Amino acid sequence: MYRIRFHGRGGQGMKTASRILGTAFFLEGYEVQDAPRYGAERRGAPIFAYVRADNQLINERGVITRPDLVIVADDSLVPVPAAGVLTGVDEHTVLLINSDESTETWKHRLNLSCRVFTLPAEAEERAELRFIGATCTGAAARLLGKISRDALQQAIKQELSELGDAVIEKNLARALDAFDCMQEHEGCIQTGTEANATDYSKPAWIDFPFEDARVSAPDIHASANSVEVRTGLWRTLRPVIDYERCNKCWWVCSTFCPDGAIKVSGQTPEIDYNHCKGCMVCVAQCPPHAIEAVAEQLARQQDAEEEVSP
Amino acid sequence: MAEQPVSIYRSMKDLPSTHLLGTGTPMCAGCGGLEALNQLYDIIGDKSVFVNAAGCMTLLSVYPFTPFRGSWLYTAMASAPAGAQGVRDALDILIQKQRMNIDEDMQVVVLTGDGSAYGMGLSATSGAIERNLDFLYICYDNEGYGNTGQQFSAATPHGAKTATSTGSRGYPGFKKDLFAIWAAHNPAYVATVAGAEPVDLARKIEKAMSMKGPRMLIALSPCPTGWDYDPQETVTVGKLAVKTGIWPLKEYVDGRVIHTKIPRERKPVEEYLKLQGRYKHLFEPVRNDELIAEIQNKVDDYWGRVGK
Repeated sequence: MYRIRFHGRGGQGMKTASRILGTAFFLEGYEVQDAPRYGAERRGAPIFAYVRADNQLINERGVITRPDLVIVADDSLVPVPAAGVLTGVDEHTVLLINSDESTETWKHRLNLSCRVFTLPAEAEERAELRFIGATCTGAAARLLGKISRDALQQAIKQELSELGDAVIEKNLARALDAFDCMQEHEGCIQTGTEANATDYSKPAWIDFPFEDARVSAPDIHASANSVEVRTGLWRTLRPVIDYERCNKCWWVCSTFCPDGAIKVSGQTPEIDYNHCKGCMVCVAQCPPHAIEAVAEQLARQQDAEEEVSP
Repeated sequence: MAEQPVSIYRSMKDLPSTHLLGTGTPMCAGCGGLEALNQLYDIIGDKSVFVNAAGCMTLLSVYPFTPFRGSWLYTAMASAPAGAQGVRDALDILIQKQRMNIDEDMQVVVLTGDGSAYGMGLSATSGAIERNLDFLYICYDNEGYGNTGQQFSAATPHGAKTATSTGSRGYPGFKKDLFAIWAAHNPAYVATVAGAEPVDLARKIEKAMSMKGPRMLIALSPCPTGWDYDPQETVTVGKLAVKTGIWPLKEYVDGRVIHTKIPRERKPVEEYLKLQGRYKHLFEPVRNDELIAEIQNKVDDYWGRVGK
């Protein structure tokens, strides 16, 4: 049985990606399970989806804890504990990650002995991750080696039929490109061992003593400590203020910022990049158009270059 | 006409330039509800207890983090006003027993989404108004159960596509008139606001804060995730809701309804609808003139009825 887990952020289409892969397997005659798991239903939240495919009836249920293939659409999820990207990854697992960094970097950083593949993308494309699901699915299909190009195409058409031809075409192009570029690694994924009831080790239970609610209830005594959460990491586009153009209107950007991430000190607005989520409301509302949207990846590269040669 | 107290919020320049609510919340990028809450919280201030029914904004305070500077309490979806009653009573008893100074008193604020305000929590709300509970109710209305994937709620507008109304005609029902339901209880204050109209919003929350008794603000909360538009359009969508007359800005005070911002010339509703993916089926694959006209007529009827 193949056990495949997709990790991504809400809005990147991981649920759809898993459905496409599931449908492609089905078209090849497999028994299939696919299901998404969410925490909060919102853009940017870590979500995962999983697919099981087998030649016989699948009796296994629930979240996949020993994956054969893990697909990560957004490499910023790897260090997020709640995302659980590395759960159950062992030597037989293949990790497919969308990242600008090399496979060696990831293996070294995560101390992995398993195979790692990356899906490199151009910086400009990374700002627009709408088709990342298709790219991941295409690559995964080839790595699995059990899905033909035709089945992949048909599955995409079937699952995206509501979205219109233009969207389908773009998804097909991305998926097939990814499918083709994984040619040399075709069929490299090994199926893991079947779960066995006899050698199943039960989870080790920890008994917590019953405590008074005043002690054990989750109680926050700090004020506005949410600032510790760096939501700036969500950003794919960065708003940059051109202070020469800013007409010091006072606070259009600051008032409309949904996150309160723009404050006006003196007369000039300042964007708090640690918390700006990159919604670009300020860019759309600034009366003299003094705020520009820059791809986050490029902005970071520029920052790094400036640090090197000040 | 009774003399209206003069507001300190006359233009954008009078709005606060730094913000009280903490950043780093898990709301979606471009959340129209959070935009409104940020503006409201600047004026409500930290001497407040927020009683939050389950919904998107429950996620504001997920242990161990909170964006609030005052207190926050979580309740089940249907019972936020009952929770507010408990908090208000506790504060009153503490003051009465002189265990708390009267100048330390706090504003009790119920914060819920439309699922709770228009539907599940309406019975508890009605009871709280009946008991003349001194509380402020803020509803962030994104016209559906957003936190679970935008299923339709009693606040979903006619024709909108949701996760549970996907046909070619969208949601068959009509948006419940919560403003009128509140007004029928004869409370101290009810108003509609939008984060896209911050001065109007500031004046209304200022007025609500100066009063006692049951008070309600319904904030239209454009939702990029549930309404399916680019997050940067949040304010544009909110402004168009007002300019097309779909979201009338009004208040109920002393038994009368006053429209606080009347669009001089209403834009066609189409301009508002076509920005949002939840109305895409009205324009593609074929234009549904009949349904667009139906929505337009509803809006025209409303403004005709109120004589504007």
